[in-house]
Amino acid sequence: MSKRKKKTTARRKKTNRKQPRRWFAKIWRLGLLLAGIFLGLMVPWVMYLNYQVTTEFEGRKWDLPSRVYARALDIYPTALLSRSNLELELKAAGYRASRQPSLPGLYSVSGNTVEIHRRSFRFHDGEEESIRFRVKISGEKVSSVTGLPGGRSLDLVRLEPAEIASIYPLQKEDRTLINIEQAPQLLVTGLQAVEDRNFKHHPGIDLRGILRAAYANLKAGRAVQGGSTLTQQLVKNYFLTHDRTMARKFNEAIMALLLEAHYDKSEILEAYLNEVFLGQQGAYAVHGFGQASLYYFDQPMERLEPHQIALLIGMVRGASYYNPRRHPERARGRRNQVLSMFAETGLLSESEAKKQAALPLAVTAEPRTRGTRYHAFVDLVRRQLAQVYKEEDLRTEGLRIFTTLSPSVQEKAQAAVSGGLRQLETRGLSASLQAAMVVADVATGEVQGLVGDRNPDRAGFNRAIHARRQIGSVIKPLVYLLALEHSRDYSLVTRIQDTPLSLQQPDGSTWSPSNYDNQSHGAVTLLEALTRSYNQATVRLGLNIGVEHLVNRIEQLGVRADIDPVPSIFLGAVELTPLEVTQIYQSIAAGGFSVPLRSLIAVQTADGDELVRYPLRMLPQPNRDAIAVLNYALTQVVEQGTAKALPGLIGQDRTIAGKTGTTNDRRDSWFVGYTRNQVAVTWVGEDDNRPAGVTGSNAAMRLWAGLFRELPNESVDLRMPDGAYWLWVDGNSGLLTLEDCDGAIQVPFVDGSGPSETTACMSALQDDEESFWRKLLGKKKQ
Amino acid sequence: MARKSSKIYRWPSPFVVLLMTAFLGACATPPGPPTPQDGEVEARVREPARQDSEGIQVFPLQNPAVKELLADASAAEQTGDYGQAASYLERALRIQPRDPEILQSMAEVQLQMRDYGQALNFASRSYDIGPRVGEICSRNWRTISVSREHLGDHPGSVEAEKKAAVCMNTKPRGL
Repeated sequence: MSKRKKKTTARRKKTNRKQPRRWFAKIWRLGLLLAGIFLGLMVPWVMYLNYQVTTEFEGRKWDLPSRVYARALDIYPTALLSRSNLELELKAAGYRASRQPSLPGLYSVSGNTVEIHRRSFRFHDGEEESIRFRVKISGEKVSSVTGLPGGRSLDLVRLEPAEIASIYPLQKEDRTLINIEQAPQLLVTGLQAVEDRNFKHHPGIDLRGILRAAYANLKAGRAVQGGSTLTQQLVKNYFLTHDRTMARKFNEAIMALLLEAHYDKSEILEAYLNEVFLGQQGAYAVHGFGQASLYYFDQPMERLEPHQIALLIGMVRGASYYNPRRHPERARGRRNQVLSMFAETGLLSESEAKKQAALPLAVTAEPRTRGTRYHAFVDLVRRQLAQVYKEEDLRTEGLRIFTTLSPSVQEKAQAAVSGGLRQLETRGLSASLQAAMVVADVATGEVQGLVGDRNPDRAGFNRAIHARRQIGSVIKPLVYLLALEHSRDYSLVTRIQDTPLSLQQPDGSTWSPSNYDNQSHGAVTLLEALTRSYNQATVRLGLNIGVEHLVNRIEQLGVRADIDPVPSIFLGAVELTPLEVTQIYQSIAAGGFSVPLRSLIAVQTADGDELVRYPLRMLPQPNRDAIAVLNYALTQVVEQGTAKALPGLIGQDRTIAGKTGTTNDRRDSWFVGYTRNQVAVTWVGEDDNRPAGVTGSNAAMRLWAGLFRELPNESVDLRMPDGAYWLWVDGNSGLLTLEDCDGAIQVPFVDGSGPSETTACMSALQDDEESFWRKLLGKKKQ
Repeated sequence: MARKSSKIYRWPSPFVVLLMTAFLGACATPPGPPTPQDGEVEARVREPARQDSEGIQVFPLQNPAVKELLADASAAEQTGDYGQAASYLERALRIQPRDPEILQSMAEVQLQMRDYGQALNFASRSYDIGPRVGEICSRNWRTISVSREHLGDHPGSVEAEKKAAVCMNTKPRGL
């Protein structure tokens, strides 16, 4: 081949000399040659660029942080919901108060009426459109819900859940994906009006735009306009270099053409909306309008007003130069320039644009603390997620994670802990005290709130999940439960001995438990011993039952812990976390229908397809009749026992069940309590386990009361299941009696454990047998 | 644990494959071909309970929100979407955790999903806090009976069947 070429060239040289006409042909051929070389180099180069830009487009588009949502609030007539809690929920879900809630995401309050304009939202079980409705609240209950306009009464409506955390990609980009179909129209059209008016028609580069820009720049004598299309800008954003060399521009243009060849306009625009750099928050780059909207206005994109959209579009030109927090005047100028472009292109009317231009920037003073709002709870969620998902998937798959958190319960629980501990300082307790709190729904086991530190912003040691502490008397109800399960031997009115005792320990030492008041109380009923938390009586009872039984029962109630079966566990020498204690008491509060505590409801893909659901599962306990009787006994702890001060602290008239717990040398303070709706556990102590001067009732119970004062709740259900019933007995002798007899108290009994002998008073009335039976049975509690 | 198929835009990542494996294994109701058990809930629980209870209906007053969710659940159940039905019932239970009707409906959905253990548990809970008389009581025991049978507890199943009959002619204890 090279030979032939040489020959040809030689021949040409000859002819050249002879015929000047051939000059043209020579140049033509040279041109072809050069073009060939150019193409030979360009094809691989373009292929390389093609590979780069498509990889970037395909890959980066989907690297999304996962979002963690609270539970959706159901609103319906009779719902237990105070106005303040509703407002807390609204704020947590990013609602703004307004006089007229004309837009989704706004609400108004007037007296006890709250008008809400709910946004449309894809819930874990289906999408719902936006809806405007009015909620009337009387006291702590919703009295009516009416749809607007029209005033049709609604049976059930729910708020979309608050977003409580994001799990970010490692490349430290924050992004809230917006969908082109759902993006505000003004954003889509406005962006084109300002940055690339010919976007719909050009193939990636816009020659007319370049010429227009060149002309404008020439006229102005400086660079006032850029000729880059949105596609070119997208390419530039992908590779984040801002050098303005010709080679760079050339590559960008090629890649823009390639992108346009591969993808349609809406895909490119959507990628642009989500990719464009719009700010920097610490280490995290703010990418895309969705995230910028949250970062600057703390509002989702769809709720921005025209002037806010204009500001963001204006910032495309230079996110730090026009940063509205740092350079408000400059940003305002740019925004108004954009607004006038909106008017010029007919996107806004002149008058509307003027009106918008007069408005303040409406940027929040500080961006919301990034990421997680409720560290301790999200910690629990991540722990449960980690059983199924790899960290990387959580960071990049944009999963939608629906949890059980109730923002109002969480806020109030944290306030009760932080505020409660500060108050304890004024009562002479140490300022270094720490605390944890867990709140769960009794029937569903859903964790509604979790506090792991007195400081809500500290994300370190999560005491609710990790602090293993001795639980003290909080264990005692289980000892009494075991006794009640032996219904032939024990009932709540059975007397046991509260007298000194000494036990040989495995290590040879002697253990002589004493009571809190250092007294022994002699023969006391089970009910008295439990409500007053007598140690000696409890240890004697426990020894009769057997230490292994207690260890087994703890496991049966849903807690697997490594427990040393020694008699001191009857007094709570068992280390458990607040979460584990909550699990045990959920079972008791739910009448023996254990539900594994859960923080997750469902996980979906970014597109709303369900990946996994965490359904409600019930695990019934044996001897639920004994659990029901125990429930009553625990209400007596509050009514007349160690938690007697509780009703006063809460200041509401409802039946609460609870148990205090204190450990040796006052190192730990526990309070466990529940109503019909919620069970909560509180722990207070020092992190290093030194004596803290705390008791169950002087510390943890106060924090617990601080929360339940704020939560609407209902009394513990004391209806007995099959296998247990109420009887009137004599408070002193424990004999069967009648309501009208002196000293009569009503007590529940497990079937077969009730007294058979009667009081003299009752015997006297037994003459009329028929009347007796009617009275006795007629007096049962419902 | 129930799962539905997932649509992911990218080619399935190892993560999705992992998930599919993990959850298919735990899937409670693989949608299989109709078996003789289909229709069991209607034939062995609801219909006999309806017949038993002619004339003695004990229905607790129902919250309209719960009524709406029960209707939604029933509709979902009829289309065979038991997961969605369970989801509605769970929401109803959040509103009224002690409603025997919701608990019994959940028990029947669990029966449809052939999770006999859970069907038994929900029905027991419903009975514990329910009227213990009338139609619900009958459905409670019939569900317990069917569940026990599937769980291999034949004597227990027969006993429960007997209790269902008693729902109609015995006053609940203590009334």
